[in-house]
Order: sequence, then structure tokens, then C-alpha cells
Amino acid sequence: MNILSQLNSPVIYLICGIIVLFVALVCVVFAVRAYRAGKAIGMDVTKMKRTIVASATFAVLPSVGILLGVIALSGSLGTPWPWLRLSVIGALHYETQVAEAAAEAVGLGGLSASLMTAKAFTTIALLMSVCIMWGMVFCLFSLRKYSARLNNPKPRAEGKKKGLALAGFGDVAMTAMFIGLVSAYLGSYVGTLVSGGSWLPLAVALVGAAAMGLFILIREKKDAAWIDSFSVAGSMLIAMTAAIFLGKLA
Amino acid sequence: MNDEKKQALYEQYLRSTHRFGRLASVLTLALLLGAPFVIGVYLQAMPDLGAFARGFLSIGLVYLVSCIAEYLIYVPMLGAGGSYLAFITGNLINMKIPCAINARDIVGAKSGTAENEIISTLSIATSSLVTIVVLFLGVLLLIPLQPFLQSPVLQPAFDNVVPALFGAMAYKYYRGNLKVAVFPLVIMSLLFILVPSLTGSTSFMIIPSGAIAIGLAYLFFRRENGRLSETEAQK
Repeated sequence: MNILSQLNSPVIYLICGIIVLFVALVCVVFAVRAYRAGKAIGMDVTKMKRTIVASATFAVLPSVGILLGVIALSGSLGTPWPWLRLSVIGALHYETQVAEAAAEAVGLGGLSASLMTAKAFTTIALLMSVCIMWGMVFCLFSLRKYSARLNNPKPRAEGKKKGLALAGFGDVAMTAMFIGLVSAYLGSYVGTLVSGGSWLPLAVALVGAAAMGLFILIREKKDAAWIDSFSVAGSMLIAMTAAIFLGKLA
Repeated sequence: MNDEKKQALYEQYLRSTHRFGRLASVLTLALLLGAPFVIGVYLQAMPDLGAFARGFLSIGLVYLVSCIAEYLIYVPMLGAGGSYLAFITGNLINMKIPCAINARDIVGAKSGTAENEIISTLSIATSSLVTIVVLFLGVLLLIPLQPFLQSPVLQPAFDNVVPALFGAMAYKYYRGNLKVAVFPLVIMSLLFILVPSLTGSTSFMIIPSGAIAIGLAYLFFRRENGRLSETEAQK
């Protein structure tokens, strides 16, 4: 039996499937608990339902992108392991880099089925698990204290005056942080374009922005609040469709 | 129900969220770290711990630093339940963070509130379940789907999921915060133009970019608050 047949065997599907199922159950429990707690404290049920609909529609297209990551890695690591990694804890942009780097670190020339051995696979699998587990480890040991600190910041030496001056800044800071995140990515697309790389990512981002502008315009002109739930997914769909046509010009 | 009772219920929910979140994290960690060894037993090839240690020293430390930054930045955005779940299910930048921020924005939840905590958890749980279902169906239908998903015609679309997402999110957040957005965007563009190799470390560049944006937001916030205080004083 060659290595890919071994890595795609029912036993490995079963091992990975059990973990995926466990994480799915964790998600369900978190969702049910949050929904019940929201109802218990008198939150508007419509808002919670809108959140569920908006998040579900939002997640479909990126999930298809993640599925492509599974397909890309399945050629060298078999299907069950990438399926597990990208369903649980992993991230599309990390997983391929870590797998490649781990393959080099264990002495394979690169991530390739022709070079893979069973021992190399289990070592790469362990490295992939350890490299990206730290967020969970930090949550385990310090999230309680960290989130308590965020919700109740320590009074400063200057006293209440500064605390009052900062009241309400939390939301502004969160929005600003997100703007910083988006700016880093858009800046990288501009840099790629100017340094002679592809212009496609920037063009796709611009089409996505224009589509979002259109959705917001419709929402404001027609007073259609329901459109909010689909505006991001709709904008992405338009931008990704544009990428197919623009890709022919690139 | 009065506010005190609601607050007590919410605090009870938070305490049990930490208990359940920790338990879920421990079990997930045990399963993920145990899986390579269980597979090793099946394949009769246990991991090479020497090669693992060398590999960890060469690549693991980079990801450790990245995880510290992600943890510090994303926990304030996600709240307690959202953070446990997001770090268990992964795909933070390309899905969970934008998804939770979008949901928060749609319902108008304020950071640090009970509403934000609930909305964030619901949003991350829902998006994680959608990913799990899509990947499950994708793996189930891998053979018939593979030619379609990997067709060269569709490749530019799937190669540009993240630009499509961030383009849409950029319009949504830049339009109301143009003063805050322009400077980090210009600085980041210049940095990536002058040092093209930084494109491989975009996730690290979020830290300076976010710091610039928060610094500017703070300046504008202080100025705005100062003006409001002066107006109130004049009245």
C-alpha cells in the first residue's frame, strides 16, 4: 500500500472525524448557551437570529476557499489530516506554510507525496499541531484574567479623570484596530502591484468595496435593513466573479 | 426582570463560559496532540521527536510570537466565549474576526457589554459550524467536486477570497472613519512598496497598522470629547 493510500485509509478518517465531531459539538453547546443566556438577560431574539443568519451567509464563501486548502494539501498529506486541521484550530494561510516548513524541517526536500514516509507524516502532523496551538494554550491559562482586566481596567494614578476621558473609547479602539487590520492587507496589495506583482488582488478588493457601496446605498435608499445580513457575502460573490473575468486580463 | 438580576445571570453565564471554555480547550488540545501518536500507532511509525524539536526551533517559535500577538489583539474584539471558540476553530483573520465584527455592527452591540459577548459567541459558533459542514460535504464529494473547484477558470476567484472580503469590509469601515483610515493605509502601502518582502509577513504588519489606527482614533476621540465638554460648559 503506498503512503497516500495509508493516509486516506478509513481508520485515519475515523480518528480525524471523531475530533471534528467533538469540535462541532463544542460549537453547538457554545451557541445554545449563548442563545439561552441572551434570552435570559432580555436580549432581542430578532437580533440574535439576524446574527445567526448573517454569520452563516458570511461564512459560506470563505469556507469554500478553505476547502480548496484541504484539496491543495491532500495531494501530499492525504485528505483526512488537512480536513481536520482546517476544520479545527488551523488557518488557511498558516497551514500550507507550516506543512511546507515542517516537511523541510524533518528532512524532506519539500511537501510531496513522492518524498513522504509514514514517520515523516506523523512528525509533520505533530509539528503542525504544536505550532498553532498557542492561542488555545493562552486562553486556557490567562483568558479569564485578561478578559476581566479588559472589562474592569485598573484605575490609574491620575484617578477618575483619565478613566472618564476614556469612557466609550473601547468601541472606537476596536473599530480602529479592525481598520488597521484591513489597511495592512490593502497596503500589501498596493505593494504587490507597485513592485511588479499581480494587480488582481487590489482590483478584486476595489470591486468588493464598490459592491459593498452599492449594497449600503440600496439599504439606505430603500430602508432595507435585511440586506445587512447578506451584504458582505454578496459583495464577496460579486468581487470573486469579477476576479474570474479580470483574471483573463492579468 | 430588574437590572441586578440580569447582571447576576450574565455573571453566572460568564463564569460557566470560562469553565466550559477551559474544559473544551483542554480536551481539544489533548485530541489534537494525541492524534499524531494514535495515527503513529496505526501506521507503526511514531513521530521522530528529535526532528520535531529541530523543526519547532526553526519554525515553531515564529508562530509562537504570532499567536501571542493574535491573542492580545483579538480577545478584546471577541469577548470570552468568542475567544475560546475562535482559538479552538481557527481561521481567525480570514473569517472569524470579520464575521464577528460584521455581526456586532449589524446589531449595534457595544464592546464590553453582555450583548457583545453573546453576539460574538453566536457569530463565531455559527460560522465555525458552517465551515465544518462545508468541509465535510466537500470531503464527502471530493472526487466529483475536485475538477470543478480546481478548474483554471475558477482559480482566480478562489485565489482572491481574502481580497474580496477585505475590499468589502474596507468600504464598510472606512466610510465612517476616513480620517482614521487614510494614514495607516498610506503608511502600510509605502512600507510594502519600499520593502516588498514584507508581503510574506502581512499578519505581523497588523500590529503596527492597528497601533497607528488606534493612536489616531484616540487623538480624534480626545479632541471630540474636548469640544463636547467645552460646548456643555458654555451652556
